[in-house]
Amino acid sequence: MKIRDGMKVAIFLTIFVVLLIMLSPFIWNVMTSFKDKGEYFTYPPVFIPRSFDLEHYVQGGKLGGIKGMRDSLIIASSTTLIAIVLGSLAAYSLARFRIGGDNLAFWILSVRMMPPIASVLPLFLFFRFLRWLDTYQALILTHSLVNLPFAVWMMKGFFEELPQELEEAALVDGCGRLGAFARVALPLVAPGLVATALFCFMFSWNEFLFALILGRSRVTPITVNIAGMIGGHEILWAEISAVSIMASVPIIIMAIVLQRYLVRGLTLGAVKG
Amino acid sequence: MIRREKRIAVLFVLPTILILLAISIFPLIYSFYLSLCQWDVGMGGRRIFIGVGNYLRLFSDQRFWGAMKNTGLELLIGVGTQFLVGLGLALLLNRYFRGRNLVVTLFLLPMMISPVVVGCIWRIIYHYQYGPLNFLLARMGLNPVNWLGSSQVSIYSIIIADIWEWTPFMLITLLAGLQAIPDELYEAARVDGAGRWAIFSRVVLPLLRPVIIIAVLIRVMDAFKIFDLVVLLTHGGPGQSSETIAFYNYTTGFKYFSMGYASAMAYFQLAVIVIIANVFLASWKRREVS
Repeated sequence: MKIRDGMKVAIFLTIFVVLLIMLSPFIWNVMTSFKDKGEYFTYPPVFIPRSFDLEHYVQGGKLGGIKGMRDSLIIASSTTLIAIVLGSLAAYSLARFRIGGDNLAFWILSVRMMPPIASVLPLFLFFRFLRWLDTYQALILTHSLVNLPFAVWMMKGFFEELPQELEEAALVDGCGRLGAFARVALPLVAPGLVATALFCFMFSWNEFLFALILGRSRVTPITVNIAGMIGGHEILWAEISAVSIMASVPIIIMAIVLQRYLVRGLTLGAVKG
Repeated sequence: MIRREKRIAVLFVLPTILILLAISIFPLIYSFYLSLCQWDVGMGGRRIFIGVGNYLRLFSDQRFWGAMKNTGLELLIGVGTQFLVGLGLALLLNRYFRGRNLVVTLFLLPMMISPVVVGCIWRIIYHYQYGPLNFLLARMGLNPVNWLGSSQVSIYSIIIADIWEWTPFMLITLLAGLQAIPDELYEAARVDGAGRWAIFSRVVLPLLRPVIIIAVLIRVMDAFKIFDLVVLLTHGGPGQSSETIAFYNYTTGFKYFSMGYASAMAYFQLAVIVIIANVFLASWKRREVS
């Protein structure tokens, strides 16, 4: 019994230490965002900044951070909406009516497997032809290209888990198929819907390659904005750190609030392949 | 009634199919045609059909093979380390304790924040003079390393940052796989007198195999995409020493505007990925049959 307790302590200690190491680069970034100019260009490096004022956040916001957050918000929420609405309709059809058999389902997934660099060049030419470069709709559509297949597959898993009898009861009661879908099936898979939406939003918010190539000056998502700051002549480390924290906070808050769904969603996707 | 059901079924999938067709199939066919042309937009060049010329050019392009080598290193060292560390952590976390979801979520932090932010973080950490990493090395009595400025080291610096970012993915996927193994199997093995190592190698590992294959496959496919970290950390440099295939592809298409050659390169990558995916999936299916 003693040995097992010692083992337990050792395991938790290991988990704690590894977690600390894993988080330390991030913590360093948080610290940097508060440092004065003299503090991040020193040797030995300063670990805890003297003051914790929000000056760099204000500066970073002015350097395009606010505009970047707004653009990312517009693109990510529109993409999530499209992926969730169209994705759950398609997933329901695939799960319940088995439309197109396995082939259609597999084709939808295979679109996601394309390496983005292979699809970005044709998309660039395609949107140039439509004169859609540097517009929201170009990025929303492109992100949907990646998120829609993902949403379909994830939602398909959730619908398949749902016993069919529930909707049949609703159909007998005089509900149409659409009613059975919207009033019975959809509310029951709500946790799955939340998890899927979280992932779609996260992907779109974090995406860089498409945003870099299809956006330019009018549309600059936060990732493009940060990358632009780091390429400059004089690198404003504290401002860059501040903006990168600003960009991470919404995702981290969402993840912690929705942790139950997040872990469950990932678990489901992984086990089903 | 049946026909109405069928109509609804079609109606439900139609929007998805239309969107995917419009923004994937059509451009892909067009870019396959481009890969058979010489088209240097930047030089004001005209489009000339040259057949497989671009593909042949790939084989004698030293820079392309350098980028392939770097991508291969990321694949072997990066994905390999992510798998081993991820598996170790998954085994540690595969037990119930209070606040486990929160701990797991914290572990997932690096993969949830944007790769661009990951790049920023490591750019500061790797700083030659003022970065905390070289400070730690000095404290341990070691020489400072020129993480981003040395052509021997820079690709490994990118790989280290990538390991940090994506080990959590392996962790969560393998943890999910572990949790799907019913407790009775552990019990049965223990009753049979199997030790820890025997349980791991004869029960856990075989049952985890499908999940391992899928997790590694996803990361291998991602390794071909590694781009954000290269842009943020080294821009492929110094020289071309840390260029990856996705980065060289981007440079060809959007810096040199050689659309034809860039398309051919993209198609080559697509072919390699499809082949790798099929090898993985074949071994996955073989398992399911037996």
